[in-house]
This record gives sequence, structure tokens and C-alpha cells, in this order.
Amino acid sequence: MEQQYAIEMRGICKSFGSVAANKDINLNVKPGEILALLGENGSGKTTLMNMLSGIYKPDSGSILVDGREVSINSPEDAKKLGIGMVHQHFKLVDVFSAADNIWLGDDKSGQVLKKDRYDVIRDMAQKFGFDIDPRKKVYNMAVSEKQTLEIVKVLYYGAKIIILDEPTAVLTVQETAKLFDVLRRMKAEGHAIIIITHKLNEVLEISDRVAILRKGEYITTVDTASTSEQQLTEYMVGRKVELNIDRPEVDKTRPLLEIRDLTIKNDEGAVAIDRVNFYIRGGEILGVAGIAGCGQKELCEAIAGLRPIEGGMMIHQGDNIVGLSPKAILAKGISMSFIPEDRLGMGLAPSMSITDNMLLKKYDQAKGPFVDRKLGRAEARQVIADLEIVTPSTETPVRRLSGGNVQKVLLGREIKSGPNVIVTAYPVRGLDINSSYAIYNILNTQKKDGVGILFVGEDLDVMIDLCDKIMVLCHGRVMGVVHAHKTSKEELGLMMTGALDLSSKYEDKPAGIARDSRIEESREVEE
Amino acid sequence: MKNRQPLFHVVKRDHDSPGRQVLAYVAAVVLALAVGAVLLAVQGVEPVTFYKQMLTMGIPGSRYPWRAVENFIRLFVPLLIVSLALALAFKMRFWNIGGEGQFIMGAFWAGVAAMKLGETLPQPAMVLVMAAAGALGGGLYGVFVAALKVKFGTNETLLTLMLNYVALYFVQYFAETKAAWNFFLDAESARPKFAKFPASAQMITIPVGPFNLNLTLLAAIGLAALLFVYLNYTKRGYEIAVVGDSPNTARYAGMKVGRIVIRTIFLSAALIGMAGAFQVSSAGIMSASPTNDVGWTGVVVAWLAKLNTVGIVVASLLITVLQFGCQAASTTYPSIDANFAKLLQGVILFIVLAADFFTRFKLVRRKEAAK
Amino acid sequence: MNDSVSVLTLFLFNIVLVNIPLLYGTVGEILVEKSGSLDLGVEGTMAIGAIFGYLAGCAADSLLVGLAVSFLTAGLCGLLFAVLTVSFQANQNVTGLTITTFGLGLYFFVGKGIGEKWPAMTSSSALVDGFAPVELPLLSKIPMLGKAFFSQNLLVYLGIGTAVLVWWYLHCTKTGLRLRAVGENPGAADSVGVNIVLYKFAHLIAGSGIMGLGGFYMALYMSGSFEGSNCWINGYGWIAIALVIFANWNPVLAILGTLVFGFFNTLQIYAGALAGAFPGALGWLGSVPPHLLKALPFLITAIVLIASSIRAREGSGQPAALGMNYFREER
Repeated sequence: MEQQYAIEMRGICKSFGSVAANKDINLNVKPGEILALLGENGSGKTTLMNMLSGIYKPDSGSILVDGREVSINSPEDAKKLGIGMVHQHFKLVDVFSAADNIWLGDDKSGQVLKKDRYDVIRDMAQKFGFDIDPRKKVYNMAVSEKQTLEIVKVLYYGAKIIILDEPTAVLTVQETAKLFDVLRRMKAEGHAIIIITHKLNEVLEISDRVAILRKGEYITTVDTASTSEQQLTEYMVGRKVELNIDRPEVDKTRPLLEIRDLTIKNDEGAVAIDRVNFYIRGGEILGVAGIAGCGQKELCEAIAGLRPIEGGMMIHQGDNIVGLSPKAILAKGISMSFIPEDRLGMGLAPSMSITDNMLLKKYDQAKGPFVDRKLGRAEARQVIADLEIVTPSTETPVRRLSGGNVQKVLLGREIKSGPNVIVTAYPVRGLDINSSYAIYNILNTQKKDGVGILFVGEDLDVMIDLCDKIMVLCHGRVMGVVHAHKTSKEELGLMMTGALDLSSKYEDKPAGIARDSRIEESREVEE
Repeated sequence: MKNRQPLFHVVKRDHDSPGRQVLAYVAAVVLALAVGAVLLAVQGVEPVTFYKQMLTMGIPGSRYPWRAVENFIRLFVPLLIVSLALALAFKMRFWNIGGEGQFIMGAFWAGVAAMKLGETLPQPAMVLVMAAAGALGGGLYGVFVAALKVKFGTNETLLTLMLNYVALYFVQYFAETKAAWNFFLDAESARPKFAKFPASAQMITIPVGPFNLNLTLLAAIGLAALLFVYLNYTKRGYEIAVVGDSPNTARYAGMKVGRIVIRTIFLSAALIGMAGAFQVSSAGIMSASPTNDVGWTGVVVAWLAKLNTVGIVVASLLITVLQFGCQAASTTYPSIDANFAKLLQGVILFIVLAADFFTRFKLVRRKEAAK
Repeated sequence: MNDSVSVLTLFLFNIVLVNIPLLYGTVGEILVEKSGSLDLGVEGTMAIGAIFGYLAGCAADSLLVGLAVSFLTAGLCGLLFAVLTVSFQANQNVTGLTITTFGLGLYFFVGKGIGEKWPAMTSSSALVDGFAPVELPLLSKIPMLGKAFFSQNLLVYLGIGTAVLVWWYLHCTKTGLRLRAVGENPGAADSVGVNIVLYKFAHLIAGSGIMGLGGFYMALYMSGSFEGSNCWINGYGWIAIALVIFANWNPVLAILGTLVFGFFNTLQIYAGALAGAFPGALGWLGSVPPHLLKALPFLITAIVLIASSIRAREGSGQPAALGMNYFREER
């Protein structure tokens, strides 16, 4: 008899507004099997898993548990069906003890809370090889402890299908090894396990099969035993597609922006950018590639003066910009635009008109007490015409525009301010082909005018064609800076997953430090 | 368990339509009046005649119709100013429910100015000084909370609530303590009783025939116009809009969000304090409870109007008609209290709050969603 | 000396008798706030519970009916709050204030409407007897304290019992644990299968019901005499909201808080008598302005609020998600 799948997803589609997060996904796991779910960020893995855990509901498609079609309307349904998920962002009550966080969802014990729950939880955790202090409050826990607690929690609820969203990202090597032991034991006991991870070595080590998603689409599922890092990377990033994006040759200036030994922490206090060196010249586009969430956002925010840095230097045309206010940095001609996942969060005031958004960074330059809407309207009209923005009028709230047009408004405004350095993150996120090309053209025009551009992107094809050089980040560290016309998608993919480190390729000169740096020069002047 | 699916699925709307909203509000008022009519009928009161009296506010047939209009204005002006001011705070997502306290503090300091300087200054100067004293008193009382909120994240809803009562008992202390130092009280009276303000501290009125137009009405309307300009056309107003819409974007644009919040809340509380000053100056005497609940009603008005300046003028007019009308009508119907206005107000707001949901979210049928 | 003891005893007795409605209001609001809802409608909810409970109690000549009806009618206010804020995602502050406005409006509407036919409490022996002191055996014989704490009416014992019970419910039962999780981090509670909507509805209704009992108490304390100008509740609902903060969201501390607030509340009235009874030790009391005593609870609460926001959140009972609505698919 053919073995039944513990869980099967058929033709799952889910979109948020106009953005399709999942397109016709098929996925299945057998009991006693570990399935790795692989894909770049934005490929829709977490969204897909959230439909199993009851956070989202699929727009269409069906989910089968043990061969029966089910409808998962809430996390409660998921729990009853034996599906447990360890979320990347912990779902823990800070002021509760470890035991109480587990006890919350417990259906077996009685109504009255007894002291022995602490022992029950400790014994249970020890059985699975975890050592937790059941009385410890979550707000006193280190990140790895919280992670452990989440895993213990799901195990305690007796889930048969366990989903782990990047569980190893915050664990040490030893803890990861321990976790994998547990997963293997769970597997032996007949659990079905889905593990989301970017680390290829871990995929190869722990999984039985690997399912790959790319840009919201299902690519394939392969047996781990018969695959390799190279093949997985290729599935994940896809084959090189010819895009015919121009890469004009421009005379480069001396470095405009130089970053040395930059270290930044993220909101959780973990190191997001770790001793990073790079520089941007006028007339070049430096791409930043990396799995999303490996420090891009923090880097952009630090350059724009929105996030304090832990250490290092940021030198703009020989002047230190560390510690300057966002306004002062803006005045130096550094423009930053970041398109977050919801595409409205940063850089635009969604309820305000295009005109008003045009004025965001220069509203106070007008003389007198009034905002110069005439200027805003003129610029809005110009940007609408130049970038072919589709909108009923200049007074339409930005939130009512479609995604591509929102981004054009943002980028259009940034360029209008006449910057000498443009930092832009995901400017084509969610855009169709034509809008994307319009954006590339804008960037190239700027480049020809001698502007230095830092382009944080997702699509490697685009970056290889558009950028002059590409810096690859992996967990906040630079894996190397490569010439875009000499590299390949495979090489970039391997660097992104940490399998290839080119940062110390040239021993005589550390990567990311310009030969004609202005930093030493200014130092000499000081001395 | 099998395929048990809820019929509807709640989705956030991408945009709202103003037409739908206006319709919802008109429907809310009509529905509330209908509910009120049923209640009135139960009490044995003919609803149509009651409503007629209420909406005409007892003005026709009155021996002193002008007096009624003057009293109406006295009710309308503080509510309008306070609502406008609260909307400023709410725009910054600062839940100032301390209107009562700020109003009282404004009235108090205006009273101090009146009693101390009233004899020495001419009327126009005195009225200005009182307005300024009230604004400063109310403003400082509010900005204190804003500073704490910005610095420490103190819960402003609860703190402003507490400060309302502190202000109330503070003023009552002056109202009820007979002592030589207490310059507020009437020295002749044996019982503690507020003394009348000196004549120069009375609000200026402009006689128009038999009708005395209270200057505060012009001030309030002027203020509404100024605020409209301030919010829609000035740099400061622009900052308020950005901070209220997306604090992250504001920070990104280099705005000092904390400073903008503090400045705006000061303005908001100062206007409320000024309304308090207008109130006592119009009455010509201090009061231990001068607010007539405008601090609370203002929240309702600001919310009904969606914080829109023009909407606030309309909504505060509507609520004043309800309140003043019920007061007027209740003189003929002893069984119906002036508080009937509160009941109607409550029902209107309940319906609006529920209707708002359908302008912010939409229900999607599961089958449609699957397509 | 005997006289001074009796003044002190009466003072203590009244601290308890007059202020127990605060305890009901506070405990009800704690239950509500622990589910993450900041309900500013306590005053209106208590008013509604008061008047309908009283009228029903008189009509049926039964204390139990009065209690039940006040609980249910006030519970309806909670239901209304829940429908608007949980189902319709309306703003909690505005909704709460509206419930207060509406509740007071309805209170006066009903009272005025009944007018002459208003039932006197003396006409219902069940209510009069129900509010009469019940001396607990032995305990009531303790000097002074016995009279103050153990010779009170049934509703005093019920109120204290409710507070203890709610404390036990919050801290010693699993449902209580889940409730606290809903108020702290609804996303976390949701992810382990706690039905957020159900929890919010149930506790808004139950909490508001308890507030209503406080209103009913107030009605009996006022001997059921309806006045056109002042509501029975007379600001107790607002003090209850302050008391929740003062008690750090702990129902048992709320008992203590009620006594502290009640102490100041009652001291205004007894300051003169106490100063006269103990001229040496308490003579100064006569010169303390009663307004300061009235403002003190609010002043203390404001200071507590500020202090707790300045130092770390650790140990604070304030639910982290207080006042925020929850929408699962928020991204």
C-alpha cells in the first residue's frame, strides 16, 4: 500500500492586495520524513506555512491532513489537526514563565494551575533533550532560550506535523546539533517535519527531501540524497535569464561614500551588520545581494542616520557622517529609499497626496510659514509625466495607487532632490516588467550623471545586468565584492548561503577598501 | 470539522469612499432619533412635538428669543473650540481625554488674571490677558503629559484622566475655602461664594439690536478657520499630518517626532485652556465646575467628524442643538430630562462606530475569495 | 475616651460601607483590562446596573433578582463594548466614553420618566433586609475591627469574596492564565489556539456585570432615592479606573486600594469628628482641606502611573496590549 501523506497542499494560492505571495503551490510530507523548504526571502515560504498554522487562509487550493481534506480557519484548528509551528518571530508572552507559556495551550491538564506544572514541563523538556528552567520569565531569556522554549512548546502539544521557520538562525552550532538530534528522533517516532532554512549544508544534513520555491512559485521537490549544493542553488536562484538591461560605461569618480568596519545591531540587539567594508564611486552602481533579513535594512537605515551604529566609520566625500541627524545627511546629498514588504511603511505618508509626498524632505525649505504646494504640484506633475505614473490626479492619496506607481513616486522624489549618493532598497519590489525597466532607466540616468548608487536587490538576474559590482552579505558579513560582468548566478547564490567566502580572496587588500580612499588622506591631514 | 468554513472573511479596505461615510452618518442620526422616538412614546410623550421643540430649541414663541440664541452660543463656543483642539491631539494619536482638566486650569488662571489685574487694565486688554493666561494654564497642564509620553511612554489616556480630577478638586478648593488670602471669593458673603469679576474682565459683547453677540463666537469661528489653514497649508500642519500618518516616515524625513508631538499637544491643551478662559469671562464669574462636560463631549464630536475641521463645526453644531434643544424642550416635559440629549448622542455614536467598520473593512464571501 | 473609640469605630465602619462599590467597579475593570480592553465606560455601566437592578429588585421584592438584573444589564454594556471594539474594531476610548454618556443618559431618562411612581426602598422589605448588617459570629466581637469588617451587609462580603475569587481565577486557573495572555500578547495566545474573540467577549460581559453589582450596591446605599441632578454613582466609576492602576491590576490589592481610597474619601466627612475625638493626635486633621483628600487618590494614581512608566515594566501588572485591537491578518 502506498504510504499516505501526513500533509498535502494542492494548488495553494494566496495574495495580499495585488501582490501574489503564493501561486499554485503543491507540497507534501510523509510521516517520518523531514522536508526542507528552500527559497530566497520573498519566495513565499513563511506565507505558505502560515496557511498550515491557521494564521492566513488560502485564497484557493486545498489542504489534506492524513488524506482527508481539511479547512484550517484558526490556529486552534491547526493545533487540533496536530500541526505545530515554531515561528521565526517568537509567539511568547514576555511576562510569563516558560512553563506558563506552554501551559497556555495545554488541553490535557485540569483547570487549576498547580505548582507541579513546572516539574511536568521540565521533565518533558528533558525527555526531548532540552534543558529549560520552567520558572524563568521570558523577558529574562536569551534569544536561543526563547527559541528552545518555542520548540519545546510545540513538542509538548504533541504535534504530528512540525513546522520550523528558520529555527537555526539564532542557535549556536552546538544547539543546532542538539536540535537536529531531536528532529531525527521525532522523525524516527513518525512525525512529519517541515524545516525552513537558507543554510544549504543544514538542508543536506537533516532533510530527506527538499522542496524549492522561487518568487512565490513552486519549482520542484528533490530527494536530498541525490542532490548537491550546486543544484539546489540553481533551483533556488533559477537559471540566468537575459534581461537586456543597459549597463552604460561611465567614468568613475573617487569614492563618494566609504564604509569601514561598520557594525550595527538590529532591534532585537543582535549584530545585524558585522564589520563591513565597502565604498561607492560616483558613476557606478554597487549591488547588495543577500538573503533578505541579513542586515540590508539596518545598513540602509544607518547610512540615512536613522539607526545608531555600534562601531566603524561612514565617510562621505571625506566627511564623517556618523552621528549626523537624518536631515544633515540629507543635506549632504545622500538619499535613501527603502521599499519595505508592505511597500508603504517607510518614505511615504500613505494617506497624503502625491503632491504632499513630493514635499516630504523639502517642505521646510519654502520661505514663510506655508508649505509650497505649488512646487509640490509642479514636481508631482513632472514625476508623473517622466515616470509615467498612473493616477487620477496629483492630489490622490498615495495609498490608493497601485504598487508600481507608489514606488515611482518614492524614487521620483528621491531623484528630484538631486542627490550624489542614492541608497535604494528593493525599488522594483512587486513591480511588473515595464515598471521595473522604467526604474532601471532612472537609475542608469542618475549613474551617467555621476551619482553613486547602492542598490539593494532581490533579483540576481537584474543585479548581474544592472550593477557594476555586487557585494554579497550573509548574516551581516561581507562574503565578497565581485564584478557583475565576471560573476555568475551560481557563484552569488553560493556566497549568499555562506557556502563560498571570497572576502579574503585578495590578500594584499581587504575587500571593500578603495585604493584611492579619502580616509587615509584625511587622516594624514589631521596628523 | 470537514470543510467547516465561515461564510465571510474580513478584509481591510484599500480605500474608503466619503460618500458612503456621509450616508452612514445621516443614517445614524435618523436612526438615533427613531430610537429616541420609541423611548419617548413609551414615556407617553408625543415624539413629533418633542422633536419639533427640540430642533427649534424653544426659540419660536419665546418672549426672549435673543436670550435663547445667546445661551445657545455660550454652549456652542466651548464645545467647538475644545473639539477642534482635541482633534489636533488625536491626529497625533495622542489620546488626550484630559480636556476637562485643561479647561478647568484655563478657567482658573483666567480667573486669577481677572481678580488680580481686573481693576487695572481696560476691557480689551483684560480679555486678551485672560485668554493668554487660560491658554498658558491649560497648555502647561497638557504638555506635561505629552513630555512624559514622549520621554517614558507613559499612558496618556489614563494620566490625563487622573489629572482631570486633580484639576477639579483644585478649583473646588478655592471655591469652598473661606480665607483672607482667597481673592476669588466674595468678601461680603458669609458663605464661600465666588465674587463677580471686575467689569473689565467680562467678555466683550457686540450689541446687534436686542441681541448681544458674544465676541467668543467670532473668536471660535476665526479659530476654526485659522486651524483649517494651519493644518492644511502650513509647515507645522504638514508635520502633524506626516507624524500622524506614519511616524516612521516622519523620522525618515528628518522630522523630530517627539518635539512635534509636544508642540502640538501644547497647542491643543492651550486652546482648551483658552476655551475655559472664554467660558468664565463670558459668565463674568468663576465656577467650580465650568466645563459642562465639554472635555468628554469634545472627544465624541472630534471622533464623529473624523478629526476634520469642517466636520467638527458641523458635528459640534449638531450636538449643541441636541443638548440645548433637549434642555429647552424639557421645560415643557418634566418627565424628559436634558440628559435625554446624552442618550441620543450615545446612540448616534454607537451606530457611527459600528458603521465605521464597514467603511474600513469589507466582508468577502468565501466563494468569491476563492475565485 | 469611650466616645472617641466609637468615633473611630464608626469611621472605620464607614470606610468599608461607603466604598465597597469602588471594589466592585475595580474588580470588574481589572477583569476587562486583563483581556486587553480599556473600557472607560465604567461610570455608565455602573449607572445602568444600578437603576435597572434597583427597579427589578423592588418590583420582585427580591435581593437576588436585583443582583441578577444589575449584573445582566451592566453585562449588556460590556457586550455592546465587545461588539463595537472586538467585532467592529472601533476605537476603545471613544466607545468607552460613549457608554458612559449613554448610560448616564439612560439612567436619567428612566428615572425622570418614572417620576412620581418611583418605588421607595422601604416598600421592599427584601432589599432593606438584604442591605442590613449581618454580624459574623465571633469575628464581629473583635473590638473596633469587628464592627468595621464583620458587621457589614451581605453585599460587602460578596464584594470581597468576588475580589478574592477573581484573583484566584486570574492567577490559579488555566482560563485565567489564557486571559492574561490575551491581554499581554494576543498573537501568542492566538497561535496556541486561544479563542481571542471569545475571551474578550466573555470577560467584557462578566467584568461589566461585576461593575453593575457595584452600581446596585450604590443604589441600596443611597436608599434608592432618585435625584434629578446627581447620579448615584457620582464619579465612583472613574475612581475605579484609577484604582485599577493603583492596585497594579491585582484584585486582592484592589481590596487594600479600596480601603486606602476609602480612607481618604471618608476622612473628608470624619475629619472634624476625629479631630474632636483625638484633639492631641489628630487635631491637625480639622485643618486639612477636604479637597486635598478628594484629589489624593487621583494624585497618587498619577504618580504611580508616571513612576511605573519610568522604571522598567518588570513587575507591572499592566497588560502590554491594553487598549489595542487585535486583527489576526495584520501584516
